Amino acid sequence: MNKEQIFSLVVRCSREILPQLETYEFRPNDSLQRLGANSVDRAEILMLVLESMSLSIPRVELFGPTNIGELVELLYEKLHRA
Amino acid sequence: MKNSTAPDILITGVGVTSACGVGKDAFLAGLLAAKNSYGVMQRPGRQRGSQFLGAELAALDAQGLTCMQGIRRASFAAQVAALTLHEAWRDARLDSVDPARIGLVIGGSNLQQRDLVQAVEAHGSRPQYMRPTYALTFMDTDVCGICTQAFGIRGAASTVGGASASGHIAVVHAMQALRDGQVDFCIAVGGLMDVSYLECHAFRSIGAMGSDRYADAPALACRPFDRQRDGFIYGEACGAIVLERATSAGRDGVTPYARVSGHSVVMDGNRNPDPSYDGEVRAIRTALSQARIDAAHIEYVNPHGSGSVVGDETELRALACCGLTHAWINATKSITGHGLSAAGALEIVATVLQMRAGVLHPTRNLEEPIDPGFNWVSAQPVAVKVRRALNLSFGFGGINSAICLEGL
Repeated sequence: MNKEQIFSLVVRCSREILPQLETYEFRPNDSLQRLGANSVDRAEILMLVLESMSLSIPRVELFGPTNIGELVELLYEKLHRA
Repeated sequence: MKNSTAPDILITGVGVTSACGVGKDAFLAGLLAAKNSYGVMQRPGRQRGSQFLGAELAALDAQGLTCMQGIRRASFAAQVAALTLHEAWRDARLDSVDPARIGLVIGGSNLQQRDLVQAVEAHGSRPQYMRPTYALTFMDTDVCGICTQAFGIRGAASTVGGASASGHIAVVHAMQALRDGQVDFCIAVGGLMDVSYLECHAFRSIGAMGSDRYADAPALACRPFDRQRDGFIYGEACGAIVLERATSAGRDGVTPYARVSGHSVVMDGNRNPDPSYDGEVRAIRTALSQARIDAAHIEYVNPHGSGSVVGDETELRALACCGLTHAWINATKSITGHGLSAAGALEIVATVLQMRAGVLHPTRNLEEPIDPGFNWVSAQPVAVKVRRALNLSFGFGGINSAICLEGL
């Protein structure tokens, strides 16, 4: 999976949890929190992404990203180190 | 015994969701028409190597669910509770009162079993990917959380369990909260018990759920008090009842339905599903005595009447012992199916709607009553002005509950 594919995946999972973003054009510097995802929504989105990537990593290793672009970078790194 | 200082408690709003009708007008119309809502259940998670019969709801009204905006991944039981509460809320005009003085009691435990089974099916082999919101939805109190968020309720809210008498138990707890002065308005909800095929298989094998006899004729399967009954038939349902003290009732546009004049919950000291004649008699007598009503003055009995082979017979013997063979009697479950945790609240709603309309609904499939000595409302509705009614609700584990309702 390349970074573009991971970004598309994050967008798809975000839209599944937040249907109001169906037509929103996501950008890497978007923050899920600012797009209306509360902490439970963010946990749901992240779980859908991890499941789709078959990535099983401790949640603590996914702390840190402040926007979608940073999350994609981190997921890419974990995927290719796994 | 009645506490002479205890304030009268009135029912000032109702909401109802049943396969025979959603909303009080459609529900009453469905009851009076003895509408058939039965079929082989289709909802995902209800069948596995089975053809269980039941009465399932049509798609939920999206407009009624607008109160759920911003609440995601609510279970089916929670969505139906919110939808039903919405009607009761508007009926009692609760928008005009202080939300800190409104309480909520959800009757029912293990409401979300179908969700659990579906979660296991989806993630049983990969539990590390379990959806995080399951940490919320597996608890019945999530229904409280969702309803209090959706309606801004700020008084006390909790769930109470009482098997198939849960709806009644919720009403009793709500009355207590009002009498204690914890809140000024309390909504009792009989929650939808969202059973999966696991519960259906177990209900069948313990001998409670029908229908082997009518497997090929779903419309005939649910037949409380009929000689050919072979167990209860499940029905998705939810009932919501707004209760308040008579001293505080009297808002513009709100006409109370009835006064809850007596109630009694007694146990048999028996963990099993079998009914108890003694327990039922004690519950009925205590409720009548608390209401200070002679059995002879009860005009209508809305019984538990689930279609249970032993239960129906026991209930009629208990009613006869208490001197209630003269009263009109029908079986709401013949039309709605058995809502389990919802049943007690649903049937209180059915009772007060019939009292207000001055008509009693027919009993489906009552072709040969097991005891013809009762005053059955069988195939046709009966126009009668009921002032005093008795509603019964029984649950596995030896729970017997009786509630007296009086018109105003």
